Amino acid sequence: MVVDKIQTQEFIQHKFAEYYKENSNTIELPSSLEKREYAFLLFRDKTMLRHKGFKNAEGFRAFLLRSTPSDVYYSSAYFEKPEAEMDAKGWLGADLIFDIDADHIPTQCNGQHDIWICKNCRATGHGAKPEKCPKCGAQKFTEISWLCDTCLESAKEETIKLLEVLERDFGFSVNEMKLAFSGHRGYHVHIEDPAVRTLDSIARKEIVDYMAGIGLKIAAYDIEGGHGPGFDDFGWSGRIAKGTYEFLLTTNQEQLENIALKRKPAARIIGQKDKILESWKSKGPWKLLKDVGPDSWRKILRQCVEKQSVKIDTVVTTDVHRLIRLANTLHGETGLKKVELAANEIERFDPLKSALAFTHGSISLEVAEAPQFRLRDTIYGPFKNQKVELPAAEAMFLLCKGVARVLEESVSVQ
Amino acid sequence: MQKLDLKITELDNPDYSRILDRAKKRIEEAILNATVTDQTRNIEIELLSFPIAIMMVATTKDAFLKRRYALAEAKRVYNILKQETNKQKLTEIAECFNWKIKHTRYERNNAQTSTADFSVHFTNYLKNAGGFHEDKWKLVNRTMLNGEVYITKDEAARLLEEEVRTHVENKLETKIDISLPQTIEKEVERLKQLFNTRRGKIRQEEMPTETVLEAFPPCMRQLYNMAPTGRHISHVGRFALTSFLLNSGMPVESIIEHFRPTSDFSEKMTRYQVEHIAGGRGSRTKYVPPKCDTLRTHGICPGIDEDCRRVGHPLACYKRKLRSMKAQSPAQTP
Repeated sequence: MVVDKIQTQEFIQHKFAEYYKENSNTIELPSSLEKREYAFLLFRDKTMLRHKGFKNAEGFRAFLLRSTPSDVYYSSAYFEKPEAEMDAKGWLGADLIFDIDADHIPTQCNGQHDIWICKNCRATGHGAKPEKCPKCGAQKFTEISWLCDTCLESAKEETIKLLEVLERDFGFSVNEMKLAFSGHRGYHVHIEDPAVRTLDSIARKEIVDYMAGIGLKIAAYDIEGGHGPGFDDFGWSGRIAKGTYEFLLTTNQEQLENIALKRKPAARIIGQKDKILESWKSKGPWKLLKDVGPDSWRKILRQCVEKQSVKIDTVVTTDVHRLIRLANTLHGETGLKKVELAANEIERFDPLKSALAFTHGSISLEVAEAPQFRLRDTIYGPFKNQKVELPAAEAMFLLCKGVARVLEESVSVQ
Repeated sequence: MQKLDLKITELDNPDYSRILDRAKKRIEEAILNATVTDQTRNIEIELLSFPIAIMMVATTKDAFLKRRYALAEAKRVYNILKQETNKQKLTEIAECFNWKIKHTRYERNNAQTSTADFSVHFTNYLKNAGGFHEDKWKLVNRTMLNGEVYITKDEAARLLEEEVRTHVENKLETKIDISLPQTIEKEVERLKQLFNTRRGKIRQEEMPTETVLEAFPPCMRQLYNMAPTGRHISHVGRFALTSFLLNSGMPVESIIEHFRPTSDFSEKMTRYQVEHIAGGRGSRTKYVPPKCDTLRTHGICPGIDEDCRRVGHPLACYKRKLRSMKAQSPAQTP
């Protein structure tokens, strides 16, 4: 698909080097920096250089400039000897981390902009990769995941839900939750509170299940006795109550039947909507309508759990040895940077403006195939087999995605 | 111990015989009954015999006995705390283990965690309840606000039991470099033998040596059947399947062969990982598959069937099925 791959690789690396030369002083190392492991994904052979340790930020920055990696990671864990082999590191604890990525969220765009390329015959297509290449039958593919406003908006909504549960239920203050845009399709939340550091992965799994509503026992509510979740309840119970109320506000016959309610109770609920909503002020609707039994209510509650659950990457949070991208370093797949933001700024935050790293000059490219994308306030593409000149950030995005090759760089400031 | 100027080398001194007897008794009770009785009437003996019992169990270097003793001492604490009516006392004990705990009165009549006597910080809660299987202990089924989980007095006692168990287990791991007086060493030897005679009974039957596909739980059957079709299996799925197969007695070579058709198969990589999980590399830990709960978290559980309904672990389910299959079919003669 792309010719002169090597030349383009060298160009990307050269641009990354330039960026780090100018900006390495903006990169802050994590707390207890000397107890962390660092890892670098190198451009050459895409090898991962692991088990690095640094005594101070200067040493780290010097290394960064020397090696110019495509991606930079550090361990969420604290080690006695970060540079030792895994078994000899001496695990001391790990931050509690959450990763929200559009990959794990069912989105409206449904990943239709993602591209797969058959490794054998180079055939391409959109959406999720097929089991077998329709052209040659091979089963190995290169996948290029794209990003669009719909994906990013879904990731943001999930992150807002996550922050709310962390604050209300888990009691973390806005200052304790370090939030960042990942540089690709999602957000990371780090909590460095010493109280969470020594939680093992079983305990972290319980936190994951709490976020995702896994194992939540709807059957525990005594609906028969007229006791369902209430607005004033703490935690999940209150959240389900509010979710149910909102669901009932907007639902219709079809939606109710879709969640396996029978025709008659569904019709009763729609018919008596006002009465039901009114009942929340007192005892709740659980025994209000003769035709709507506990089973129907439980189905509705279960549906609300699904809606209220936070779609996090379960593996990241339960892994107590996780490597995670370092803030203000570049993402090798996009040329964007991981940027931190305050938890209370997320609503207004636009990653496609704030995470730009390459802001000077423009680059001429030959684009093989690229779906539409937005950076800043401009929408570009779609492109197919065409030569274009784009501002540096936009061009770097296509180059890093592997869908274009570089023709010429113009350094003049736009 | 320091205050009484008690020296280990003097432990065989007849003056201390009552303390030593109680220490022996504690261990015996743990071996035979899986719990230690409460003898707090003789408070000094009860207190002083504990570190001596710890020392004796630690010198056996027997991991299985250590686990059993820790559990028995923890059960003892639970039985005492369960009876405790003074909430303040429970709080003080919890605070000894650095819990953030408060008295509270929370009442709701709609769900299972409806009344509470205490609230504890969720980290204290999770460190202890993380391994409990019942639904009511899952964090998602608790009432939680501002980092505090609401619990009843009995639940607090149960969580403290777990705290004590880990505490005792840690104590049993301390290295003991001194040599014990001969009479005590003899006692340790006797207790070890007592334990050895019960070991087989205490430990559940060992896993069989041949893998029986028909007895696989649904999750493992699904993963196992996915590999030959070349479909991609997630990292957690691979780990779960590999550790399951190893524990069911399948040889490393057969497992690698089984993974061969997967979409991104690399023999070198697969061998490395399978051998690592088998305990042949690096840490030399032999891994077991994650429990049902964890498999559910990572989306691997395809839903439970009749046989795994009441167990929390794929290996337990497998053993169970094997047993019932054995019971149904008459013994085969070669």
